Formats: sequence, C-alpha cells, structure tokens
Amino acid sequence: MDHALVRSEGVPGTLTASSVSSASTSWGRFEELYRSSRDDVYAYVFTLLRDGAAAEDVTALAFERAYRRRRTFDRRRGEERGWLFGIARNAALDELRRRRRVTALVSEPSEPSDASEPVSEDDEGEVALRRTTVQTALAKLPAREREILALKFHGGLSNAELARVLGVSESNAGTLLYRTMEKLRKACNATA
Amino acid sequence: MRLLDHDAPIDPEIAAVLDAIDATLAGDPVDGRYAETAEIALLLSSERAAVRPEFARTMDERVARRFAPAPVAVSRRRRRVPREFLEMTGGLAAAIGLIVAIVVIAGGGHGSSSMSSASSGAASGAGSSRAASSPPTASGSKAQPALVPPNGSSSTPTLQPPTTGRKVVQSAGLELAAAPSRIDDVAQQVYDVIGALGGIVENSTVTQTGGPEGYADFQLSVPSASLGQAMGRLSSLNYAQVVSRTDSSQDITDQYGAAQRSLADARALRTSLLKQLAGATTTEQVDSLNAQIHDAEASISSDQATLNRLNHQVGFSQLSVEINARSTPAPVSHGNGGFGIGQAAHDAGRVLTVAAGIALIGIAALLPVALVAGLAWWVGSTVRRRRREQALDAA
Repeated sequence: MDHALVRSEGVPGTLTASSVSSASTSWGRFEELYRSSRDDVYAYVFTLLRDGAAAEDVTALAFERAYRRRRTFDRRRGEERGWLFGIARNAALDELRRRRRVTALVSEPSEPSDASEPVSEDDEGEVALRRTTVQTALAKLPAREREILALKFHGGLSNAELARVLGVSESNAGTLLYRTMEKLRKACNATA
Repeated sequence: MRLLDHDAPIDPEIAAVLDAIDATLAGDPVDGRYAETAEIALLLSSERAAVRPEFARTMDERVARRFAPAPVAVSRRRRRVPREFLEMTGGLAAAIGLIVAIVVIAGGGHGSSSMSSASSGAASGAGSSRAASSPPTASGSKAQPALVPPNGSSSTPTLQPPTTGRKVVQSAGLELAAAPSRIDDVAQQVYDVIGALGGIVENSTVTQTGGPEGYADFQLSVPSASLGQAMGRLSSLNYAQVVSRTDSSQDITDQYGAAQRSLADARALRTSLLKQLAGATTTEQVDSLNAQIHDAEASISSDQATLNRLNHQVGFSQLSVEINARSTPAPVSHGNGGFGIGQAAHDAGRVLTVAAGIALIGIAALLPVALVAGLAWWVGSTVRRRRREQALDAA
C-alpha cells in the first residue's frame, strides 16, 4: 500500500537517480520526497484549484514550505508524504480563500493522462461514456468527499498517509474512502 | 477534518474493497466482485493532471538551488546581510544587555548598602540630641582634629559641634553587627582602637557562645579631641557593619561658669574670713569665724569638685559601643582595602543572586505573555483551520 517512488511520472532522469549517500541527511530525504511526490502533489492541488497556474504556484510553495520546515518533521506522526500533503492542502485551501472563488472539482482536467492501452472505437466510446458518468456522479458528491478521492487517486496516498492529511486514524480514513467510493458507485449506477 | 474520532477495527468487507482499490492502482488483478469499483478507480486515476515539462524543469532548478532566490547582481548580494549574522548579532546584544543589567543591579546592591550606611548616618543625625545650641564663635577657636577615619573608609564622619570657647560635653553611641564567630575579633579591635587613642574602657561585656548568638557592650571614655577619630575607626572595623550611630552634645558653659563663680566667691569669702579671724579679739568671735571658714572651705571643695567633674566631662567623651550578632557574614576586611578570595566569593554570590532574581522576574513577566501568546496562537490556528475547511466546502 506504499506508493512511494511509484506514482510519479515524467521526472527527469537526472533527478530520479538514487542518491544513497545523501539520503540519510535531511536534505537528501527532502530531495527524495520531492522526486517521489512532485507530480502527485501537483495533481492533487490541481484537482482542488482547477487552475494550472495556481496549482503550479501552490505546489512550488508547498515544497518550499516543506523544505523550510523539514527539521520540524516528526516521523512518529506518520510518513513524510502525509506531512507534505498536509502542507500542500493548507496552501491550496489558503489559495482558495484568497481567491474567494468557488472552484468546481468536477470540471475537465486540462491535461488528462493518456490511456495506457489502445482501444477500439467502440471501446473508446464506451470508456468516454463511462468517464462522463463518473464525472457527473462525482460532481454530486460533497467537496470533502471529492477531496478524499483526489488525495487517493490523484495524490496517490496510501490509507495511512490519507489518515495523516485528514487528521483521522488509518481505519477511519479507510472507512471514509470506502463510503465515498460506494456513494460514487451508486451514483454512477443511478446516472447510468 | 476530523470526520471520525474513533479508531475501531476496520470491517473485513471494507478492507477487501480497499485492497481491491490498491491492487487496481498497482496494476494487479482484482476479484470480479470488485470490478465495478476497480473500474471507477481507474477512471478517477485517469483524470489525474500531469505536470507541464516547463514547470517540472523550473521546480527541479529551484530545488537544486534549495529554494534560494535566483542569482542577482553581485553588488546586491554583497549588500545583503546574512541571517546568521543578524541572529548572532542579536544574541550578542541580548547577552551584553543581560550582563549590563546584572552589573547595574549588582552595583545597585552595593549602592543600597551604601545607602544603608548613609541612612544610619541620617538616623544618627536625627537621633542626635543637642541640649544646647552652640553659637558659632570664630575667634580663639582651637583647631579640631580631622574626623575622617584613618583608613579612608566610606563611613559617615562623626558629627562635630562647634566647641570653640564653649564647654561642650559630647557622647556617642555605636551599634555594630558582626558574625557570631567574629564577636571576639571585633571586641578586640574595639579595645585596640580605644587603647591607641588614650581612651578608657570603663566597663565591657563580651559574650560569644559559639552558636548563632553573641553580644558585646562597651562603655568607653575617650579624649574628646579623639572622639571623631575613634568613631571613624570603630565604624570601619573588620568583620563588622554599622547598624546605627548616635552623636550627642550638651553645652555646659553656663553651668561651668556658675561653678567657677561659686568657687571664686567661696575663695573670696574664705580670704575675708581669714582676715577677720586675724582681727578677732574674743573667743566667741574666733569660734564663729572658724565655723564660717570651715563652711567656706567646704564650699570651695565642692565647687572645685564640680569644676573638675565638668572638665572631665568636657575633656573625655562617653562612648557606648554595642555589638550584636547577625546571620549574614560581613564584608571581609575592608580595613585593608584588598580584593581577596572572600570578597570575590561574596561578589560572585551577589552576582548570582541578582542574576537569579532577574531570571525569576523575567519568567514572571514572560509567563502571562507566553500564556496569552499561546492562547492567541491556538485561537488563530483554530480559526484558520475552520476557514480552510469552509473554503473547501465552498469549492
């Protein structure tokens, strides 16, 4: 259930090289955290803000804050990714407050990832229909539940990391995720 | 966002669904019962926004610089004061300020000691009883000895009434405090001072128990010309501190003149009676004159004794010295003016005491400030968290 070093994509090769010698230092750990989490943080923040430029600013701000506060990180309270996403979440919500703008979490992302496998025209049409169904059902969910899905499927957090960001126990985080998925599944069936 | 507060064991069915979701995200096959959930998970995951390559490159550069500002002109960079320098300077300034405060307050402590001495002098001045106010007379005055203590200590000089041409009786009282173990030492110094000045110890009591108590009392008589010097020396004895001091004076010029006139009259009467006795012719006259002469001589003796007593009172001043034990040790040996280990230890203890006092006052002053700051921080963070949640709900 640990997605560290798995979810990130598109990171330059010069940075993906393992730096074993520096991994034990606070800077080394931060660098590793950056490499493993940059794209996830951006995807999560983008889902919250629905604004690419703002998402980039907030992502950069979150990493800078994490760098400044890296010595305050307490491993006993969870893994570093959860701590980082907590910082990113606060920065994103501050941005939402600052802009005083209602951001819909269901609009079409600007750069959705490509399908991993080629599909036929019939399959493509069915997938598009199914995707629209999911988006419609997603739009009906409360913002907090949409955020749980964003943390899980866009941020790539494990349930333990999800728990740290939300400030609940791991089992409660899992239960919340389960309920939200069930709600979304039923909404999809109702929409279909 | 505390949606659930309890941490109950997770339901097996829920755990199975969560495992299916994780397996789907990891690309592993899942049970057919969870196909619909897996499909939704894949669709949600496919909605994930990708990072622009330009942003990725910019971020990589910023991280490589450790978020330092982009390079600017050298001259501007040189003008920038490093944070470490500011922190070090601030810490140094705070340390200097603390040291200055300690030194000032410690100096103030010595100042208060001097003030105590001054106040004792003031008290002695207030307690000074002057039975006769001596008129200032300039002519025929005899030079009085300097009243400054010989060791130049800071003790208050003895009050010296104007005695020129007048018959003035002076007396003084001195109350000293010394450590119980030093009573004998101080008493011996009193004897030495009085002996050196030609004084007389009329009576004395010295009690040193070896415990926390001790007492000494002296009734002294010193030449009036040396009273000031005696007071100066006695006020600066080693191991002793002046607690109080009293100077008294009484002008007996009139009383002395009356005694002189009475003596002169008695002598004149006796002379006259002796002449009459030489011319007496009868036994009765002789007996009567003899009786009168006897009375006159008795009067002369009495007046002479009165004059002698007054002269002694004027010539020798009564000095009362009392030494009481006290708990705190006296400053060591200010008679020799040196700076010894004892003095250093005393000063160090004083500095530490003042530093502890400052720290205590600082803590007492900072505690409510810290409480208020903590409360403000808690309220602020709570409000901020609530506003963030509201922003999320509104999104």
